[in-house]
Amino acid sequence: MKIYYYLSLIPESLVASMLPPEEFGNYYALGSHKRSRGQAIFFEIDPDKAGDAIDKEIVESRCVPHEDGSPRKSTYLKIYRALESIPTEAILRLYLTTDDGRTLAIEPSEYVHEEDRPLHLYQEICPVNPRVASKLNPVDFAKGLTNPGEPIYVPRIFFAEMKLEELAKNPDAPIVENLPYQNLAHLRDCLRELSHTYAKPNKAVIRHMKQDFLFRTIRGGFFLGDNEQLIYFPLPNKEELETVHYAWWRSALSGYGA
Amino acid sequence: MNSILFWITPAASIAALAFALIFFRSMMANSEGTDTMRSIAEHVRTGAMAYLKQQYKIVGIFFIAIFLLFAYLSYGLGLQNTWVPFAFITGGFFSGLAGFFGMKTATYASARVAQAASQSLDQGLKLAFRSGAVMGLVVVGLALLDISVWFLILNKWVGAGSQQEKMTIITTTMLTFGMGASLQALFARVGGGIFTKAADVGADLVGKVEASIPEDDPRNAATIADNVGDNVGDVAGMGADLYESYCGSILATAALGAAAHVHGDPEMQYKAVIAPMIIAGIGTLLSILGVYIVRTKPGARQRELMSSLGKAVNFSSILIVVASFLTLWALQLENWIGIWGSIVTGLVTGIVIGKATEYYTSHEFAPTRSISESGNTGPATVIISGMGVGFISTVIPVLSVVVGTTLAFCFAAGDWSFSTGNISQGLYGIGIAAVGMLSTLGLTLATDAYGPIADNAGGNAEMSGLGPEVRARTDALDALGNTTAATGKGFAIGSAALTALALLASYIEELKIGLVHLLEKGHAFVFPNGIEIQTAEEVRQLGLMQFMDYFEVTLMNPKVLIGIFIGAMMAFLFCGLTMNAVGRAAQKMVEEVRRQFREIEGILTGKAEPDYAKCVEISTMGAQREMILPSTVAVLVPVIVGLIFGVPGVFGLLAGGLSSGFVLAVFMANSGGAWDNAKKYVEEGHFGGKGGDVHKATVIGDTVGDPFKDTSGPSLNILIKLMSMVSIVMAGVTVAFSIF
Repeated sequence: MKIYYYLSLIPESLVASMLPPEEFGNYYALGSHKRSRGQAIFFEIDPDKAGDAIDKEIVESRCVPHEDGSPRKSTYLKIYRALESIPTEAILRLYLTTDDGRTLAIEPSEYVHEEDRPLHLYQEICPVNPRVASKLNPVDFAKGLTNPGEPIYVPRIFFAEMKLEELAKNPDAPIVENLPYQNLAHLRDCLRELSHTYAKPNKAVIRHMKQDFLFRTIRGGFFLGDNEQLIYFPLPNKEELETVHYAWWRSALSGYGA
Repeated sequence: MNSILFWITPAASIAALAFALIFFRSMMANSEGTDTMRSIAEHVRTGAMAYLKQQYKIVGIFFIAIFLLFAYLSYGLGLQNTWVPFAFITGGFFSGLAGFFGMKTATYASARVAQAASQSLDQGLKLAFRSGAVMGLVVVGLALLDISVWFLILNKWVGAGSQQEKMTIITTTMLTFGMGASLQALFARVGGGIFTKAADVGADLVGKVEASIPEDDPRNAATIADNVGDNVGDVAGMGADLYESYCGSILATAALGAAAHVHGDPEMQYKAVIAPMIIAGIGTLLSILGVYIVRTKPGARQRELMSSLGKAVNFSSILIVVASFLTLWALQLENWIGIWGSIVTGLVTGIVIGKATEYYTSHEFAPTRSISESGNTGPATVIISGMGVGFISTVIPVLSVVVGTTLAFCFAAGDWSFSTGNISQGLYGIGIAAVGMLSTLGLTLATDAYGPIADNAGGNAEMSGLGPEVRARTDALDALGNTTAATGKGFAIGSAALTALALLASYIEELKIGLVHLLEKGHAFVFPNGIEIQTAEEVRQLGLMQFMDYFEVTLMNPKVLIGIFIGAMMAFLFCGLTMNAVGRAAQKMVEEVRRQFREIEGILTGKAEPDYAKCVEISTMGAQREMILPSTVAVLVPVIVGLIFGVPGVFGLLAGGLSSGFVLAVFMANSGGAWDNAKKYVEEGHFGGKGGDVHKATVIGDTVGDPFKDTSGPSLNILIKLMSMVSIVMAGVTVAFSIF
């Protein structure tokens, strides 16, 4: 049986599995007995480009079918600093699995700079996961976080930009109807502070992501960046989501989160 | 002349049934779409028919037992008219038949509507509405057929001392088939309500809340049961409910008409008896016309869709105002203009109650939006504000019935001082106001039955993975169905209140018949006030208010107050029993869906199909088991109260049950409707939209409201009418055997 390699981002880990991506996503979200649930986000890895991070011989000796012939669902290879250990060229594509086990594949794509907006909201996902309001665009945000010259930095960061609607331009916008974030008043305070008084470019809104976040709140897509490069994984547009990926999109809309 | 006019009723009945057949055939000529669409529709059809078969088995046992009891009372003890057992059976049979046809049509229509919506919104709307019209027309067609045939049979076979007495016996005998319809309606409403909400709540709890599976997702084993439930609850249940109100209003008014002229001109009495039947017949013909008016344009918005249905109802309502004027003029009934005023009052009362329901349950308006907003502070405040809105929403319907009753009474009595001098005419006015409200039932019921058809079409489109444009159309049709379902419930409750008032008055006529039977067997009768009567003729000469005096039906009589307390308690007890029934059945459903997720490998990956039939079976068995206790209580309590506390106790029971049941029913239906639409308002992108905490809070509100609006609330309509019907049918027993 073919062995697949996945870099899970919730929680951060490197996993070998005999399940293809859609089935792995389903298993990862729901478990074997369908008694647990939780969204999954993971990369598929090309082991041939992974360098020292993956020892194929060891993996092949551990990731073997069960006695009844069924495929091995997961063999954990690394659970700490996994993201930084995989070279970016080994990353094939990103998979998003809803908490009822439907999986969407996203190919990497070139990031095209948009006309800048004064305010952004980022959900950092791996290796740390605060939610941050920022004055920086995604490229600068990633660079800032992974800059070794800064007193606090991470070698690599995986994050998503989230929708702010009118708040991106005006934190005092009176009507903000379709943002399901908890404590919207606090978010407004953070954005207000950033735009009026705060000297630094970023401000933490939530220190630690305690629950699933809603895929429908993603603006644009996901970013994997370090101090040198930024890989962009764009979410399909609304029309594609409602047609080609409708089953996934319906599930994504049915979950709860923050 | 008058006989010719009577024939409008059977002619309208045949026309209604013929058009129902035409609409059914035209619906069946449409394509059912792809293999997947057909397969889903087949699952729902099979489940619905399995449920109905099981329900009719149990109801059949009840009916046979009660038939035998009535046969004994009629033939053994001579306490009832000998036609009563048969009238009872036919009422139940026709009500059940209407439910069967309506559900059969609805389950054949859903996939076809989804397929028609892939052509255009107009085609989807027309097909859904005309399929709903099958239910509407079958209900009124069978009701008018039942009434016409019984009237003709009894007119030929009943013998009596005078023409007036004969008419009184005919009308009061016919009234008893209302009990058959009521009992069948109660089973349909309670059983259907428990089924649908056990499936719905079960599907939601385990699907949406636990497994985050979207609504109408084929991976959820309870999805098909949920779709089956829409049919058994909202089609068969609603149809049986309104069939019963329709028959009850016509028959009670006929009985009151006969009573009002029992000492007067026989021809005038005959006219008063047939007037409600003729008006119902004309209303049916106009309803058929109205069905052809419903159409819309591509891309119509919610308000435009609503207005296309509204146009048809308004068209028929305006024409019924004119037609009833001409009918009453042709009949030359005594004070016919006043009686026409009562009919218009009934129509307007129905419209006002419908609009008030829409105001309190649609998210186009402030009350429902305020519930959505309260989700900002969690589910508890959603529940609190939903209950608050529901309580306040009772004001307009209650005042409408108050004003409607006042006007109908005064118009028909021809006196604005509420004098009891002309009370029989006034009560006749209240009855005919209910007939006016229900005269276009063929059409209003079509809008009600349209709801579950559109809902199922939406579910079918989702499960079959039809394109986004089709789904948007079926969603629009479904959203319209939610509003019509809510207004339909308001209408059903309002008509139940007016009908129950008319039935309350008819109870006295039944008491008279009971006393006549007793006295004809040679027993003297001593009224509670000490007056003794020896002959049937003395009873016939007694006026309505004298009867109330003789039986001491006054608030100072503790038996009346006791009855009122028990009646009020009955409404709450009945709600409690039905709510708990839903809770228990839903728990079983949740456990079954969890089991299937656990044990059937591949459900969540879509590789294996869930066992839908098992969930349908659980809901069916749960509904059948759980409906027996509330239904038995509803039948037995009026008999027991009558046997212990006599006529005053029964009057108190009916008054307490009617007043508390009516208000509670409005509260429950509107709270539930408002919670449902408050959630939908959030899902449309307000207060954070889907997935946020406000959404979660409003989903909880909606789940709490489900049994409110679809089980307990609608069942209360029937409870208040059934208690009246049982009291009417058992009047002879009450008179003969009451302890106090």
